[in-house]
Amino acid sequence: MSEWPEPAVDYVQAITDTKLVLGHRYAQWALSGPSLEDDIGGASAAQEEIGHVRQLASKLEAQGRDLEWTKGQRDPDEFANAACLDRIDGDWTEYVASIAPADRAAWYLLDAIDRDDLEGLITKMGEDEYFHLEYHDARLETLAEEDPGTVQATLERTLPQALAFIGPASYDESEDPLYEAGFTDRPISEIRTAFIDHYRELFAETDVSLEDVDWDAPADDWNETRRRTGTDAITANDVKQLRGERNAEFALS
Amino acid sequence: MKYEVFARINQGDEIKHIGNVTAKSDKLAKMYAYNTFDEEDWDMLAVVREDDYLQVSNDPKPTVGVSTNE
Repeated sequence: MSEWPEPAVDYVQAITDTKLVLGHRYAQWALSGPSLEDDIGGASAAQEEIGHVRQLASKLEAQGRDLEWTKGQRDPDEFANAACLDRIDGDWTEYVASIAPADRAAWYLLDAIDRDDLEGLITKMGEDEYFHLEYHDARLETLAEEDPGTVQATLERTLPQALAFIGPASYDESEDPLYEAGFTDRPISEIRTAFIDHYRELFAETDVSLEDVDWDAPADDWNETRRRTGTDAITANDVKQLRGERNAEFALS
Repeated sequence: MKYEVFARINQGDEIKHIGNVTAKSDKLAKMYAYNTFDEEDWDMLAVVREDDYLQVSNDPKPTVGVSTNE
């Protein structure tokens, strides 16, 4: 496999970490939905995200990244997941309004990759993601009718976190290192515009106002490796669960 | 709202009724059907609103009045 340009490994690692934590959150909430169909959808999405992680982890390993490290043998502050997945407090509405922006942002970053060695894999992931994102939007639309206050308050926090994960607005055609290197076919600024336009359009005819969302996030102290600002992270208990240590006795030898 | 779910495995097969889902929007009904009835690689999977059924029978059979006193 040919070598990726310098910042690409961190870029794919952040997508992988987001999918790893996303799969974990889907699984944690898979019995908490308002209907059996919501639970089935969550359980299905959890399996698909973990499947994506396995595929991406092997690509990262080929670029020199330690497989065990990618699978979870590291400290919480070494995970580069979208910050809106760090913890999800509250009820099911907050859960949906937290995972939806993270899943969409991760897909937009993945879809922008322009590499022959990843093309087939990304196409397959896109088939899965179509249904994840359509489901999220359908659910956000119904929740916007039922509980617009909670949807709005949650999105005011999670949309800027997802935008930080996508990257800074200053990464345009002339400043985005991965676009310049030819690893992606569109700059971060273009991905941000598509992401912002999507949510503005989705909630345009609802009682959810996105007026107070910080669309300019992230601030200047953006960490390119962890694709966020600040030092927050998933919990040590999350990492323990991701490693599956407590279930090791059930593992097939 | 209740939606009936229809599917076929191969192109040219008969379309069969495989179940139903209850959802608050058409979009959500489609996603529920996709996730819930994923046991096959369907060639076609569709949902129909229960309200859109145009009932043909299930009532007492219609009859045309015929006089026997002509």
